[in-house]
Amino acid sequence: MDAGFSVAAVRVTSPAVDPLSMGALTGKSALVTGGSRGLGRALCVALAQAGAHVSFNYKSADDDAAQTLELLRAYAVKSSAHKVSVLDKVGLKTLVERIEEDTGSLDILINNAGVSQAVPLALMEEADWDLVMDTNVKGAFLCSQAVLRGMVHRRHGRILNISSLAGVKMLQAPVHYCAAKAALKGFTEGLAKEVGRYGITVNCLAPGILEGGVGHNVPPARLQEYLRHTSLARVGKLEEIASVAAFLVAPENSYMNGATIVVDGAV
Amino acid sequence: MECSSCPPAAARPDRPHTFLHHQVTQCPGCQVPREARVVLRGNETVELVFCKECGQRERVISSDAKGYVQALVARGEDAATAPGEHLFKTTTSTCPQCTGLVPARVMIRDGQVYFHKDCAACGPSQALVSEDAAYYARAYGFARAGTEPHVFATEVSHGCPTDCGTCGDHEQHTCLPIIEVTDHCNLECPICIVDNQYSNHLDVDDFARMVDTLVRNEGQCESIALSGGEPTSHPRIMDLVRIASRPEVGRAVIITNGLRLGRDRKFAQEVKDSGAYVGLQLDGFSAETHERIRGRDLTEDKAAALAVLKEFRIPTQLIAVVARGVNEDQVGQLVELLMGEEHLLSLNFQPAAFTGQGGGTFPHDPMDRLTIPGLIKAIDRQTQGRVRGSDFAPLPCSHPQCVSLTYMLRLNDGSYLPFPRFIDVSHHLGLLRSSATLGSSPEMQETLMDVIHDVYARQDTVDRAPEVLAALRRVLLEMFPDRPMTPREAVRMGEGQAKSIFIHHYMDRHDFDLERLRKCCHHYPQVDGRIMPACGFNMFHRGAAKGPDTPLPSWGKKPWTRDSPSLPSASPRLPLIR
Repeated sequence: MDAGFSVAAVRVTSPAVDPLSMGALTGKSALVTGGSRGLGRALCVALAQAGAHVSFNYKSADDDAAQTLELLRAYAVKSSAHKVSVLDKVGLKTLVERIEEDTGSLDILINNAGVSQAVPLALMEEADWDLVMDTNVKGAFLCSQAVLRGMVHRRHGRILNISSLAGVKMLQAPVHYCAAKAALKGFTEGLAKEVGRYGITVNCLAPGILEGGVGHNVPPARLQEYLRHTSLARVGKLEEIASVAAFLVAPENSYMNGATIVVDGAV
Repeated sequence: MECSSCPPAAARPDRPHTFLHHQVTQCPGCQVPREARVVLRGNETVELVFCKECGQRERVISSDAKGYVQALVARGEDAATAPGEHLFKTTTSTCPQCTGLVPARVMIRDGQVYFHKDCAACGPSQALVSEDAAYYARAYGFARAGTEPHVFATEVSHGCPTDCGTCGDHEQHTCLPIIEVTDHCNLECPICIVDNQYSNHLDVDDFARMVDTLVRNEGQCESIALSGGEPTSHPRIMDLVRIASRPEVGRAVIITNGLRLGRDRKFAQEVKDSGAYVGLQLDGFSAETHERIRGRDLTEDKAAALAVLKEFRIPTQLIAVVARGVNEDQVGQLVELLMGEEHLLSLNFQPAAFTGQGGGTFPHDPMDRLTIPGLIKAIDRQTQGRVRGSDFAPLPCSHPQCVSLTYMLRLNDGSYLPFPRFIDVSHHLGLLRSSATLGSSPEMQETLMDVIHDVYARQDTVDRAPEVLAALRRVLLEMFPDRPMTPREAVRMGEGQAKSIFIHHYMDRHDFDLERLRKCCHHYPQVDGRIMPACGFNMFHRGAAKGPDTPLPSWGKKPWTRDSPSLPSASPRLPLIR
């Protein structure tokens, strides 16, 4: 058992596949938080497709994590899953050290881990508020702090925070979720200013409603209302967001910093 | 009355280039030999020549500024260890006999730096300039662009140093104004610069005008030093302190021998109540040291002054003149004193400059004298490495040969750790500033953020990294609160965060270097409105470069002169290289 981890990490190094399939992230090392399912899994796959070594953490879903790892086997990259909470500062430190030891560096962090609850303010308990704010915002803070040391040392890094349309536009969504996602935009801008001088860029991606994302339980009437106002007249796919994310963390995306990119089919 | 609505004073503009050094060249116009400023501008190295006949001229001498500096430093480093004697560069110095400006060859021999000079009237001479040629060469790598005052006091019309000052060709604003408020003194020190056995006290209105001029020229001043003579003998010294204690001024500092402080508790209380700081002259601890440097045994007087300063917790800077063979064995004790008392903020060592009423005739050997590297070695040796030679770096904002310094961060357990123990200060030049304490400027905040990230990223290889980071966090939180601060508050916030040791080598007729004067930032404001770089004033305007009755140059002006600057129509003694 690894120090600071509740369950030993699962490590898989897949056999080689066609190197020509390698992309813009070849040789880079990435950490995706909340990578066991949903958008997190799609992000892991997109990064591996682009040639990055991919590590992800998850909180509890061992089976989902194993499925994500299985998907990553198809790529000639190192991949690993780590059962550690984004709120476990000590565990995160150990996680980052292991990734850096294993892959030689940690170039990319995608702060994806998040939760939501469909609770109106009237019934929202303090614990609800804390859970959403902690996981979405404090988790991004702790994960960014954990990777920052190496990135500053190497004078290079890419941090991408996954926000939401609910954080940048007025949508009918739980207030703690809206507040948390809006906080990530501010977090992005502040950190981008703070660490840009070290060659580290920090950006934010704000997707609209996605198939299989946290908005999957949106009531049908509200979903129809959303679609009526979306020019593409459909919700997004996880892969569509993940491919944008893979570009945002690529070396080629070298002059974007502090930006929030909305990908919502034009709501 | 302080106005909380007004925006802060506008920032002083940066110089358009980084001044590096002087060298002999030819005027691109008339081909007459002149002295040129060599400056870094973008990627280019440029010679700037002021010619009285042709005006301002310039010539690009390198398209690789960084490479130029590296080559200059390497040339000196190589010569430092090579056998024989090597020309490092050229500059303009003074003849030790007639004190006229003469060209000088900067030679490196046996790891030391010497000036070789040839005066047409007096003949050749040599002088030791630095005891460590490698340090001397590397110091040029620290050169950094200066800033300009909002207003220059004089125009560029005859060249440096005749136009003093400061004129538009001066390369640094006034970091530390030193106002001589009296020429009376209760001591007669053999080392003293000033002819101070009179009783001319600066008029209070004149003093107020000088402070007004400083604020107009500079916008804000971190410090104003009240000097003399002995400033505490001015009958209205506390009125002067009150005038200097205005919102645009961070602190008023009384530079004193401490005699009155030690004897007059009521006066000490007044100083404390005024918020003034004290610069206490303390050259050592033995009767012999005091007798040789200050003319009599001051052991008890200095002990009394130190006791009063401690009792009233008056923030204090210690100032020690150190001369070869006199008191260089006591520098370690001075450092220990600094480290042991919270109210002692800084220690300023001044290797003796042999100029002025007393100093000009003080016994000395220009070929065997204490220089900055020698003093650094003495501190290292005498503190058993508590403060190491590697803790010191040249001050970039003045000429880097003028001052060396170290800041020591107060850790949360009360101990002090020099910054170079956990960072490479050459990567954080914003830390190296001409101030006894860390200042709460935006530039300092940015520098501290860089330092924190630097240590944070390398914490596995940095000794005591957790303690250092905890201390830096405290510094940030205390020095940069989320509310606006006056300059005075900002200065206060920086105190207690770190202590500093400065080594400032003022110049005399042996080691005078016009390029150092060009970037001087310690200035004497005058009653006629000029702001005079210190060593230029001492050398050319006191009439005492060789002791009493040294003839003034034709353009020299004695202290207390009220006439506006006037220059003879005949050509004055310019730094022409013939």
